[in-house]
Amino acid sequence: MPIKLLFQMSVRNILRHRRRNGMMLAAVVVAVAAVVMMNSLIRGMQQDMADAAVENLVGHVKVLAPGYRDDPGIQKNFELASDWRPPDGVAEVAGWAMRVRVPAVIMSERGTRGIQFVGVNPRQEGISFLSSARMAGESLKDASDGRIIIGQALAEQLETGLGRRLVIITQGADGLNREAGFRIAGLYDADGEGMEKFFVFTGVDALQKMVGAAVFTELSIRLHQEPALFALKEILVELFTGLEVLDWRELEPQAAAMFIFADAAVLIWFFVMMGALVFGLVNTLVTSVMERIRELGMLRAVGMRPRSVVAQVVIESSVLMLIGVAVGIALGLAGIFAMGDGLDLSLWSEGVESFGMRTLLRPVPLFDDVLLIALLSLGLGVVASLYPAWRAIKIKPLEALRR
Amino acid sequence: MSDVSVGNGVVVDCAGVSRTYQEDAVPVHALRGVDFQFARGDFVSLSGPSGSGKSTLLNLIGGLDRADAGTIAVDGVAVNALSESELSDLRLHKIGFVFQSYNLIPVLSAQENVEFIMQLQGVAPGERAERAVESLASLGIGELAHRRPGELSGGQQQRVAIARAIVTHPVLLLADEPSANLDSGTTEELLKLLRRLNDDRGISILTATHDPMVMGYAKRRVVLRDGAIVEDSAN
Repeated sequence: MPIKLLFQMSVRNILRHRRRNGMMLAAVVVAVAAVVMMNSLIRGMQQDMADAAVENLVGHVKVLAPGYRDDPGIQKNFELASDWRPPDGVAEVAGWAMRVRVPAVIMSERGTRGIQFVGVNPRQEGISFLSSARMAGESLKDASDGRIIIGQALAEQLETGLGRRLVIITQGADGLNREAGFRIAGLYDADGEGMEKFFVFTGVDALQKMVGAAVFTELSIRLHQEPALFALKEILVELFTGLEVLDWRELEPQAAAMFIFADAAVLIWFFVMMGALVFGLVNTLVTSVMERIRELGMLRAVGMRPRSVVAQVVIESSVLMLIGVAVGIALGLAGIFAMGDGLDLSLWSEGVESFGMRTLLRPVPLFDDVLLIALLSLGLGVVASLYPAWRAIKIKPLEALRR
Repeated sequence: MSDVSVGNGVVVDCAGVSRTYQEDAVPVHALRGVDFQFARGDFVSLSGPSGSGKSTLLNLIGGLDRADAGTIAVDGVAVNALSESELSDLRLHKIGFVFQSYNLIPVLSAQENVEFIMQLQGVAPGERAERAVESLASLGIGELAHRRPGELSGGQQQRVAIARAIVTHPVLLLADEPSANLDSGTTEELLKLLRRLNDDRGISILTATHDPMVMGYAKRRVVLRDGAIVEDSAN
C-alpha cells in the first residue's frame, strides 16, 4: 500500500472533522508549547544553580589540602608559587584563583560574627561572584591590599559602614590566635544574603602575613565548558600528588543533586503534560475509527490488508501530532522570546536563594530538549494510535458493511 | 493459495456449502448444502425472500465470510483454505465488489476512488490514471472525475463504484442489491450498463437482488429459499 495514498487519506480524514481535530490539535499545541517553555525555565534554573555553585568561590575544580573540608583552617595548607599557572595544553580554562580561606571572628563596636575570611588576588577573582557583585565603595586593589570588603548584610548586622575599622581574629599557622584591625574598603551586594553574611575578603598577601605563612588553602579553577572538567581533573590529580582534587559536584553535593533532579524534572513535566493528552488523542482516534467503520469495512472488503488499515490510523495520529508539535514548539519558542531577560522572582527571594538560585530566572531553551520533546511527542502519537488501530482491524468487513 | 481442479469455463464452484449463524443462541441455517456453479461470462441473479441465503452465498463467494461446511472455489482457488491476508489478496485481484450503499471513500474524488484499488495492486501512477479516466468515461461519467462522492447523485455514485470494481479486470463482479438505493429510471440505466459490460467485455456478474428488474436483465436466474436453491433457470 503506497504511503503517499495513506498519507493523503489521513490528511483528508483529519480535515473531514475540522472542529474535533482542531480542538485536539489545539490541546497538543498548548501542551507542547507549555512543555517547551517550562523545560527552558527548568534548564535556566539548572544552569543558574550550577553557575551559582561554581561562582560561589568553588570553580569547576578545586585543589585542597587533605582534611581541609572536615576541619578548615590555615594548618591544612599547601605551597604554590604565586605565579603558578595551569600547565600548557589544558584547554578551556577560563581562569584560576589561589586563595587563603580561614574561619574567623569579626567584631565591630556593635557586634561579633563568625565568618570565612578569604585572602584573594583581585586580578584572579574574575572567576567568582566577587567580580560581578555590585560594590559600594572600592574594590580591593591587589593581592597586597590590607583593607577588607564585606557583604552589605554583614555590615547591617555589625552596624558598621564604609571606612570603619573592624577587628578580625583567626588562628595563625603556629596555632596561636592572631588579631588585626582592617578598614572597610567596600560593601558588596551579592545575589544571596547568605554569602554577604559569610564571606569577608582581603588581599591574599595581607592574610598570609596575618597568619604567618606564605601558603594557600585552595586553588580554584574555572572552565569555559564543563565537559572539559574530567580531563582537567585528571591532569590536576597527577600534578598535585597528595592533595585533594575535587569538582564542584563533590564540593556542592546539594546543588549537584538539584542539577540531576532538573534533568529528571524535564522528563517528568513532559510525561505529566503529554500523558494527560494521550487519553484525549486515543479518544479522538477511536471516535474517528468508529465513525468510519463502514468505510474501513469496505477497504478491507476490497482487499486492503490489516497492516495498511493500521498504517492509516497511525499516520493519521502522527500527522496530527506532527502539526501540533511543530506549531507548539514555535509557540513555545515565541513564549520564551517574549520572556526576554527572564522572570523576576525577587518576591520569593528567600526561597529562591535557599535553592542556590538567583532571583532572575532566565529561560534556557536547549536544542536537545526541543528535539527530545518533538521525538517523544511523535512517539506518544504512535503509541496512542495503536489501540484505535487495533479496534480498526478487529472490525470484520462483513459486519462493518452491514452497519 | 491452494488450487482446485475445475473446468476451464467455471469461475465459481460451490459444493455442499452450509452456513449457520447464531442469533441469540438460536441457530439460523442461512445455507444448507448448496451446490452452485457459475460459468465465465455469465450474468446470474440470486434472488429470494429475506433470509433465503442469497446475500450469505454472495459473501461466501466473495471471501467476506467463511462456510461451515462444503467447498468454494473462485477461479480455481479454494477459498475455504485461505488465510485472512490471502483472502484480501483474492478479493483485490480476482473480485470486483459493488455494494448496496456504494461505499465510496468520501475523502477521495471519483477518479481517486477508482484509482484506489489499483494503488493497492501496485499499478504504476501513469497507467493508473489512464485506466481510471478510461473506466469512468466508458460509464459516461468522465466529466465527474474530480468530484467527491458527496457531490454526486446516487446513480452517479453507483457508476463510480462499478468503475472501481471493473477497472482491475476482475474475473468476477459481485453486486449486492445494486439497485436498492436507486429510482427505477436510474436502476434501468445501471442494468443496461451491467448488461453491456457483460455482453461486450465478457465480465462475469453475480448479483443478489430483490428487484425483478435486475432479475430481468440477468441471463440466468437462481432462486433461493430457506438456504437452498429452489430454482435455477436461464432468462
